[in-house]
Amino acid sequence: MIQFERFQLNNGLTVIVHEDKATPMATVNLLYKVGSKDEQPDKTGFAHLFEHLMFSGSENIKDFDIPIQNAGGESNAFTNKDITNFYAVLPAPNLETAFWLESDRMAGLSFEEEGLKVQRKVVVEEFKETCLNQPYGDAWHHLMGLAYKVHPYNWPTIGKEISHIEDATMADVKAFFHQYYRPNNAILVVSGNVKTTEVLKLADKWFGSIPAGTQPKKETIHEPPQEEFRFKEVVKAVPLDIIYLAFHIPNRNHPDYHKIDLLSDVLSNGASARLFRRLLKEQKLFTDIDCYITGSLDPGLFIIEGKPAHGVTIEQAEAAIWKELDQLKAERISEHELQKLKNKVESLLAFSESSSMTKAMNLAFFELIGDANLINQQADSYQKVTVEDIYEMANQVLRKENCSELRYLAKRDN
Amino acid sequence: MLNRAIQPPIREIKSYDLPIPKKYTLDNGIPIYEVTMGTQNILKLELMFFAGRWYEEKKLTSKIATSVLREGTAKLRGAEIAERIDFLGGSISFGSNLDTSHITIYTLTKHLKNILPILEEILSAPAFPMDEIQSFILRSKEGLKVDLEKNDSVAYRQLTEMIYGADHPYGYNSTAELYNEIDRNDIIQHYQNNFVSENCLMMLAGKPDAESISLINKYLGQVIRKGKSERKKFALTPYPEQKWHLSKKDNVQRAVRIGKRLFDRHHADYQSFFILNTILGGYFGSRLMQNLREDKGYTYNIYSELDGMLLDGYFFVGGDFKSDITNQAIKEIYSEFGRLREELIPAEELDMVKNYLLGSLLTAVDGPFNAATVIKTTLANNLPSNYYSQLITTIRQITANDLQKLAQRYLQDDSFYEVIVG
Repeated sequence: MIQFERFQLNNGLTVIVHEDKATPMATVNLLYKVGSKDEQPDKTGFAHLFEHLMFSGSENIKDFDIPIQNAGGESNAFTNKDITNFYAVLPAPNLETAFWLESDRMAGLSFEEEGLKVQRKVVVEEFKETCLNQPYGDAWHHLMGLAYKVHPYNWPTIGKEISHIEDATMADVKAFFHQYYRPNNAILVVSGNVKTTEVLKLADKWFGSIPAGTQPKKETIHEPPQEEFRFKEVVKAVPLDIIYLAFHIPNRNHPDYHKIDLLSDVLSNGASARLFRRLLKEQKLFTDIDCYITGSLDPGLFIIEGKPAHGVTIEQAEAAIWKELDQLKAERISEHELQKLKNKVESLLAFSESSSMTKAMNLAFFELIGDANLINQQADSYQKVTVEDIYEMANQVLRKENCSELRYLAKRDN
Repeated sequence: MLNRAIQPPIREIKSYDLPIPKKYTLDNGIPIYEVTMGTQNILKLELMFFAGRWYEEKKLTSKIATSVLREGTAKLRGAEIAERIDFLGGSISFGSNLDTSHITIYTLTKHLKNILPILEEILSAPAFPMDEIQSFILRSKEGLKVDLEKNDSVAYRQLTEMIYGADHPYGYNSTAELYNEIDRNDIIQHYQNNFVSENCLMMLAGKPDAESISLINKYLGQVIRKGKSERKKFALTPYPEQKWHLSKKDNVQRAVRIGKRLFDRHHADYQSFFILNTILGGYFGSRLMQNLREDKGYTYNIYSELDGMLLDGYFFVGGDFKSDITNQAIKEIYSEFGRLREELIPAEELDMVKNYLLGSLLTAVDGPFNAATVIKTTLANNLPSNYYSQLITTIRQITANDLQKLAQRYLQDDSFYEVIVG
């Protein structure tokens, strides 16, 4: 059970505090409800570029990192399709330094051309390092493009093309900031060796006077149900073939989420899971195989990816995966197998609650999807799943017409 | 009215001592160190064997022997081991690094008693099935093919080989040919010779209960055979040439590694160099990061690293750069070496690094698993038990003069190997 208190400032900023006296540190986690799905199709990668700019100086603080390092802390951030999340971990007595820094960049950035110029270059190099100069680095570009035809999950967070990043202007930066980086579009979570009353005082002092923005208009774009099997083949100079199968699933908040999560665990959570055990170990058809779900705010994907073993054709490999999926649709798993998955989840949750920083991030995420207290209901939601639920989900999700297949093939010399 | 231009005062960063672990000895003489911390009823049990590359008769045997341990015993097939551990919600991993092999269990405290009998069985009669060894080798070779397409992996392999030589435990690299030469008997030999009591120590961290230690003694206090194995001798054969460039066409970036041999943690300069390394490239505010990324936008990531093994250590700078500016980037790296040799580090910067390091050391011992890792490093390296508090003292006391002298001694441009891939 994670105890926390929740407040809302007059400007709409949500503040959540979790006291954890087992650590000498404090975590300040600030989640902005903006991600790559909020971008325009011709200006992709912008939310992530913007995350970089948040470290390039604010109105009163030229350098973000010097004070946090002086306070004995460290800070970082990540962007995904749904959110941009900033966090700092520092010795608890220096908590106020993080408030000063985070609130100043919410109050106003310095908007200097030079900062934008440098970070454009840095992000372009990041794009090259992670997508172009790595074998299979652009697989996600192809797979998302295939699975999402209308919805902005169509492009990866890093951006669809380098030119979108290169073309970003200061006008774009300012508009984005004023639209999304407002207190009423953010969730602040503080955890660690702190006192709730003090955190609240600090929140009011540093964030209270930042004016609210107009609530960003969120036009939900619905991806129409997929009705036909989709297929794409990419041939490149990579060492081995990879096969990806992606199936549409509901969003993170949907009542079926936990059932589908356990369905993916049947296939790939642990060394005894079906895909690893049967296809990789017993039949030796793959050298690597995995299955996971995306757990996004809007409807997500159930993804299987595998590298066929040397001498195994991609068709054989694919048929073996489908055989496993068909079995899940035809036969209910045993109570014993379900219990195993639930025991794993029980352990995972216990381990995830051993880190104060993880707790802060999770509280922010659950508040985003509706209620921070969902963090305390996860265990129950998993324990309620039945064998019948898994069977139903397998039949609902793992259908050929709900599937997008990407074959990423090694260019053969002959 | 709030004045945002005024920074809140920074409080002195207090340091805490590393918790003192409780030490027990199992019946077969193996020491086990217990670190009780945290709020969750969870445990990490780690068995560390001094059985790495220094103990090998043949290259790659330590890695393969450790990994294939999980693949079955006289009584249990690999699939059954996996099934039982998963059913208990636990996880078990078998890994090896240059010096040591590790068996690590994560479990809820209540399930320790059910996991230990499985581990006892694994250690008493590992089967090392022929087909499992073959498939492990096959998978490793496929993974290697992917790694060899990554510029940064290729550069890293090359650098350590240049520093230590192609036949040295710290320098050799896995290749398909080496994998092909492995025979099942090599694996069995390596296990039998080296997974013995005097080569082993154990760490237990988290929230053990009253029974935990006696359970561990019951299941692991006999099964690990009494005995000791010695490290072998290997000659250091560093490359005479210091520069190596592997050109690749169609590359959008080049991987660069610039490094040299240094020393292990016992060396009088190790802790001070750790601080110098931090200033140069060991954290986000480092000089390399500020100059090459934040000022010039040459790269997404640039860093420097001091890696200490049990018997040696090396230092290197690494980054991936836009191909057409690689030469400028390399020039900037050397110019940062030069600045550290020629100019005193300004007091403001030194204070910041000190605070940053003191804070990061707090994180390093925050929670049972982190604290146990630091204690394990101290024990494995046979360092004095106050090594961690000495490091805190070194950080508090070091001066700009000390650091400049250190840079003059160790950061001479012509003492470095330089590897470029791409």
